[in-house]
Amino acid sequence: MSVEANTPVTKLFEPHFWKDSNRKLEYYLDKMDGYKMAKKVLTEMTPDQVIDEVKKANLRGRGGAGFPMGMKWSFIPKVDKPKYLVINADESEPGTCKDRQIIRYTPHALIEGIIIGSHAIGCKHSYIYIRGEYAREAKLLQEAIDEAYAKGYLGQNILGTQNTLDITIHRGAGAYICGEETGLLNSLEGKRGEPRVKPPFPAVSGAFACPTAVNNVESVATVPFVMRMGGDNFAKLGKIDKSGGTRLISLSGHVNKPGVYEIGAGSMTLRQIIEDLGGGVWKGRKLKAVVPGGSSAPVLSADEIDVVYDVEPLQKVGTMMGSAAIMVCDDTTDMVKLLLRVTKFYAHESCGQCTPCREGCQWMESILHRIVHHPHDGKAKPSDIDMLTDIAGNIGGKTLCALGDAAAGPVISFIKKFRPEFEAYVRGDVKERVRHA
Amino acid sequence: MPKCTIDGKEVEFKPGENLITVAKRAGVDIPVFCYHPGLTVVAQCRMCYVEVEKMPKLQTACSTNAAEGMVVKTNSENVKKGRAGTMEFLLLNHPLDCPICDKSGECDLQDNSYGHGSAYMRHSEERRTYVDVDMGPVIEKNMNRCIHCTRCIRFGDEIAGIREMVAVKRGNNVDITTIDGEALKTEYAGNYADICPTGSLTLRDFRFRKRAWMLKKTASICEGCSKGCNIELQHEGNVVYRTIPRENLEVNKYWMCDEGRFNYHYTQDETRVLEPRWNNEKTSWEDSILAVKTALEGKKVLFLVGTDLTLEEMSAIREFTGLYYPGSVLQHFGTPGIETSAQDQPADKILKMTSKTSNLRGAEKLGIVPHNPRVDHDFSAAVVFTGGRAVLPELGHAIQVGVGVFLDKDHQTAKYQHILPGLAYTEKDGTIINHQGKEQKLKRAILPRGRSKSTAEILMLLANKKTKVGVA
Ligand SMILES: Cc1cc2nc3c(=O)[nH]c(=O)nc-3n(C[C@H](O)[C@H](O)[C@H](O)COP(=O)(O)O)c2cc1C
Ligand code: SF4
Ligand code: SF4
Ligand code: SF4
Ligand code: FES
Repeated sequence: MSVEANTPVTKLFEPHFWKDSNRKLEYYLDKMDGYKMAKKVLTEMTPDQVIDEVKKANLRGRGGAGFPMGMKWSFIPKVDKPKYLVINADESEPGTCKDRQIIRYTPHALIEGIIIGSHAIGCKHSYIYIRGEYAREAKLLQEAIDEAYAKGYLGQNILGTQNTLDITIHRGAGAYICGEETGLLNSLEGKRGEPRVKPPFPAVSGAFACPTAVNNVESVATVPFVMRMGGDNFAKLGKIDKSGGTRLISLSGHVNKPGVYEIGAGSMTLRQIIEDLGGGVWKGRKLKAVVPGGSSAPVLSADEIDVVYDVEPLQKVGTMMGSAAIMVCDDTTDMVKLLLRVTKFYAHESCGQCTPCREGCQWMESILHRIVHHPHDGKAKPSDIDMLTDIAGNIGGKTLCALGDAAAGPVISFIKKFRPEFEAYVRGDVKERVRHA
Repeated sequence: MPKCTIDGKEVEFKPGENLITVAKRAGVDIPVFCYHPGLTVVAQCRMCYVEVEKMPKLQTACSTNAAEGMVVKTNSENVKKGRAGTMEFLLLNHPLDCPICDKSGECDLQDNSYGHGSAYMRHSEERRTYVDVDMGPVIEKNMNRCIHCTRCIRFGDEIAGIREMVAVKRGNNVDITTIDGEALKTEYAGNYADICPTGSLTLRDFRFRKRAWMLKKTASICEGCSKGCNIELQHEGNVVYRTIPRENLEVNKYWMCDEGRFNYHYTQDETRVLEPRWNNEKTSWEDSILAVKTALEGKKVLFLVGTDLTLEEMSAIREFTGLYYPGSVLQHFGTPGIETSAQDQPADKILKMTSKTSNLRGAEKLGIVPHNPRVDHDFSAAVVFTGGRAVLPELGHAIQVGVGVFLDKDHQTAKYQHILPGLAYTEKDGTIINHQGKEQKLKRAILPRGRSKSTAEILMLLANKKTKVGVA
């Protein structure tokens, strides 16, 4: 499938990146038809009509799980309680930096998306939970919000209607786990950033025990485009079933041109992305491995990358699209060291409330540490390798939140696909260890 | 009622019940750590895995409610592997110091390890260690033994109504401690030791006094206030070592207060009067009884019963006074200021009542009126019956006879011309009526101490015509 010749728009966000003045309200109004859809939605459409349009658009959540947005919004019960649209701007999955682009250059798309989404679910106060490290982005976002308030797009009687909508930015304190939606909600409420046991799901009992939709920045910033194009046309931007629109991809690692790229959902294979967008593996080296969806996605070896880059095809080859962050490893990459680094991250970021993740992630890190740093003194044993896989198996699928899976997936897949490197390490064969694979 | 199937057995359930509860009804025990029926469900320990048909992942039984037609397996290979994995994780950093751990023998970690863990250890890294905080007089903390189940945190938050136990740091370094390392403040701290599934929180009062498996257990009722918390007295060699709460959803649920928990100590106080006394001298029962009878002969007697006595004791006293001292006055006493059950109110939002004796309602049921110290009574002798908990009334200079439990250290005994030692609540059977009007049974845990006698026996001796005045 190729992009239809007569489709005028193929990229929604990317053309607006990289110029600071683009983040201003005037730009959004002049060049992006800004806030017209918000007005239209508030004055002409019922919440259900908005949700139907989003459903037609096949807009999937961009936060990691790829859950259909329209469906998520339709789960919000029409009860007499405050309802919240909470924007997940925690963007902490290693390798991911797409939401940052939106916040920096098209913040008003996010704000307009929040206005539309709030109408759809009946929210009067929306929160943007932004990672603590995004200090500059929090400031930029606040400036955009201030512009919107000044114009009457936010606050009381917004856009000349009876509606009320406030947006509050809440800065995180630097914990990855606060990107998990229920950990985020706890943190937002001033509690420890620990994921909650589900059910109840946030749609029923989320922020302050009220119905809540937690959505990724990109997901919500995309909604104004859905309304402008109409759900059906938007869906057609996607070149694969069930995924509409475009995807922002954070491409990093050993490529010539790392960056954030936008593609029609499912319109390219992983190889095309690396070669056509990323300009191929750097320094003329060969490809060794690709981590296709943020560091928690199981790794693919060089011969597995002719896969269409979207949710289901990646699932079929045993990995995931996650936050659409692709990390490319050339043939000098020491996969054992890389796995240690990834594992260290998850052990460090575990909230510590459930047993397999709290104990297991640290244990895996300790073993990998032994393997990497003690290749010669016999502290690493051949049996460690299978033991690691077994431990990961006792974590994956068994934890309270998906961080456990995020920690287990890399361990299992790295060992499965690059086992000789691990064996070389435990043999003390340091010269050999990278050559394999 | 809807039904589900657990390990092949069809079980009925009430909507909203979780699989742990429903399985228990089917006779299937699912191992747990973080789950406690009196606390919110957090599904953190990951011990209670079960397999639910049509669900690809193992589910935690504590956080899964039964549903119509649900088919659950609690013992599949998958479940066993999951549990063994959790057990292994929990023991990675556990000191395994059972031989010197006070929880040993009643430790969920130990039991579940035997039941679901492995005898071998694959872990060869150094263990994590913590520095302990001083939690005050009730609880001893040993953080190295903690399995981070957060039961203690939730108990504080949800039951004791005080956020004092908290988790600090994160991941592998999570420390379960008090805010700023301060001493515990709740008056219900003993429960922390009960609910801790390991030896991380132990009762200072009990530590190292007896191994858990040596204790005999007697189900009884706390006499600390009119709540009537259901308790278990744990004892050995005729000594009570510990009181723990017993589940009664209508009264105390799973909890008890510290005052009630440690109340038993006075019954074993070394200054307790365990032999009859006459003018502060030890004497024999025969001499005592004769002397008391002589002292009371022909007098207008005020009989006072403590509301810490059982219904049976009170009713025997009432019968006795009617038969042998007609015209005498019978009144009850117990907690100053709380003379009727209408005045008895919750003392906090948890369990405690303002009546610090257990059986005010019992005395009222028998028609005994409150003693009013402000009204002058025309009497020349007084006999005070007490279980040891009621606050003794001031009686001026009338001849005073005390029957029941008296402690020299309370500085009251010297005022009594006669003391006839009776039984404490740990030493007798009987009925008490709590503030709700619920009749509950005290059970004798240990035998009478010293030469003390039951109220019934003492009354019999006092009533016996053969015991003549003047006979040694
Ligand atoms: C450990 C963990 C970390 C996560 N971090 C983020 C994050 O940083 N940003 C994000 O949008 N979603 C993150 N998610 C996914 C969220 O839980 C949630 O699915 C998402 O915000 C839903 O938004 P969407 O439906 O718009 O995709 C994370 C999930 C897990 C399990
Ligand atoms: S899986 Fe890890 S991060 Fe998630 S709840 Fe458990 S301990 Fe916390
Ligand atoms: S101290 Fe005991 S109750 Fe508290 S978290 Fe640790 S093991 Fe659980
Ligand atoms: S609340 Fe009353 S009955 Fe319950 S334990 Fe405390 S003193 Fe005893
Ligand atoms: S008892 Fe269910 S997870 Fe702890």
